[in-house]
Amino acid sequence: MDESTDEEPVVQVADVHKEYELGGTVTALDGVSLELPAGSYTAVMGPSGSGKSTLLNLVGALDTPTAGDVTVDGRAIADLSETERARLRGTQVGFIFQTFNLMTRLRAVENVTLPLVFAEHGCESRRERARDLLTEVGLGDRLDHLPRELSGGQRQRVAIARALATDPRLILADEPTGNVDTETGDEIMSLLRETNERGNTILLVTHERHIATRADRIVHMTDGTIERVEEA
Amino acid sequence: MKVSDSIRMATRFLTGHRLRSALTIAGIVIGIATVIVFASFGISVQTDVVSEFEDTSASEIFVVTGEVGIGGENDGFFGGAVENFALPALTTYDVQQLGEIEGVVSVIPRGSVDVTSMSDGNQTVVLDSLTATTPAAFSGDNIVAGRAFEVGVRGEVVLSESAVERFEQNVTVGQNLTVDYGDRTETVTVVGIASQARGGFGSFGDFAPTVYVPTDPYYQEAGPTAASANQGVEQTAYRQVTLVARPNQVSDTQERVERYLNESSDATQVLGDVGITVQSTADLVDGIESVLTDIVRLVTGIGVLALLVGAFGIANIMLVSVTERTKEIGIMKANGARNREIMGLFLTESVLLGMAGAVVGIPLGLGVGFVASTYAEVGFTIPYDWILIASAMGIVTGIVSGLYPAWRAARVDPIDALRYE
Repeated sequence: MDESTDEEPVVQVADVHKEYELGGTVTALDGVSLELPAGSYTAVMGPSGSGKSTLLNLVGALDTPTAGDVTVDGRAIADLSETERARLRGTQVGFIFQTFNLMTRLRAVENVTLPLVFAEHGCESRRERARDLLTEVGLGDRLDHLPRELSGGQRQRVAIARALATDPRLILADEPTGNVDTETGDEIMSLLRETNERGNTILLVTHERHIATRADRIVHMTDGTIERVEEA
Repeated sequence: MKVSDSIRMATRFLTGHRLRSALTIAGIVIGIATVIVFASFGISVQTDVVSEFEDTSASEIFVVTGEVGIGGENDGFFGGAVENFALPALTTYDVQQLGEIEGVVSVIPRGSVDVTSMSDGNQTVVLDSLTATTPAAFSGDNIVAGRAFEVGVRGEVVLSESAVERFEQNVTVGQNLTVDYGDRTETVTVVGIASQARGGFGSFGDFAPTVYVPTDPYYQEAGPTAASANQGVEQTAYRQVTLVARPNQVSDTQERVERYLNESSDATQVLGDVGITVQSTADLVDGIESVLTDIVRLVTGIGVLALLVGAFGIANIMLVSVTERTKEIGIMKANGARNREIMGLFLTESVLLGMAGAVVGIPLGLGVGFVASTYAEVGFTIPYDWILIASAMGIVTGIVSGLYPAWRAARVDPIDALRYE
């Protein structure tokens, strides 16, 4: 994606600190700066407690920084109201979780339409979009299945389709292969690669080296700081 | 999020927990059904009684000796004690004077003549008394067969339909019956059969089997007497007299009647402190309506209590539901749900529960109300106002009980929620 280098980065993280009150102050992020250029594919690696999930939550506008600036799609999330952050998540960010986080009572196609429901898309257009996306991830024949009727890999593919539903600029994947076998994990990573090639910016959090190497750039984190950045 | 989507998702959850939803709305169903049962029954009774009055005796004024607590502000109709009822004090002179008061169209005195039984030759029916009145008591469609008796003629009687039914073999017009006075008997001829007669107290007292005879000669010979202060002689005296007033002049006429009775009648001299009760149909209808309104109010209060219990039920189950669905709330928030959309979703669920309570409770209440009305032999009237009120109560209960749980749901932190197992 050479043409995107002149564009404003999708995400700018500038000297961000994040502290929690958890029976004493816990510093989760301690001066992190990072840019995600449009169309880039970045993996964040680090042991648990290194602050990678906190970083993901901030970039996904689920949380606000204690100090510093997180800018997503040109907007500083600390300046946004809760409603505006919800809107930002709904339209510009797609989440993929380790535990899939599908709505258990909704069918595959309904799970994929969920972000479109909150974005108030019309009933017909969003079903069509969900069908197309599920067909793309290879679940064209599982549209009306409930999550419990699907395998782990299939569930994660539903989650990927859901993350892509509003065609967000940014995809955030938190250990997307953590709950599936190696072969399925490989398929999931291929799907993410395809997604990136279509122009979506991806931030992937993992603790597995062989998963991280599928990205274009690996950011290593320890104790709330970026230790080093490894370009592929 | 569109309203249709909120309703669709809320419905999905509620139907996914059928038993839980059904048990939750049970309280609302009971509350709303109770309100509807008594509202429909009360209104049915009211409509039935009022229409009966309006059909038959819209412009009647009842004069009764003694204090009769009927239709008063404080004395409910059902609780109205009849004190010193039926002292014969309205003399023939009074009856004549009442008939001359401006606005009075006709005077229907009524008295009773003691008997012991009546026989059609095959069967003897126990009867306490003959009811003496005048032909004016039978107006319009009241006579269903034959004619009214004639004044001054002995041996002519009119039977109420219920009296006819007392005899196993059909009693027909022209048939002879034997009246037993205890010390003697008399053969009388049925000249007419009446569905009802004017001049009964409130005109709905003639459901009991009644045999009508003319006051002249029956009551004048056998009835009690009282001293006429105005004329200085003993005269036949009545316990009750019904006046038919000119329509639209009922209340003015009633005032004139009261003035005569209190100031210059023979009856007031005879009764002294006991007093005379004068009431129009309107007074009676007001009294009945006020009692029924009280009953409806009381039971509505019970219904509202049941609704309150139901509201706590909904609030409780919604709070459980919020906790259970913490993760779902997190997922929805990650996918762009705003706080007020989460709140709306949970409120929609509680409102749907309240509405379901109304949807089940209203027909249930109407059904029981219909059965009660049928059992009480009054025409069933659908209480449209109360159906609207009950629907509103269901919805309001849903909103009120869902507000706090919905607010809790909206405040769930998405990061914690996504981690929640």
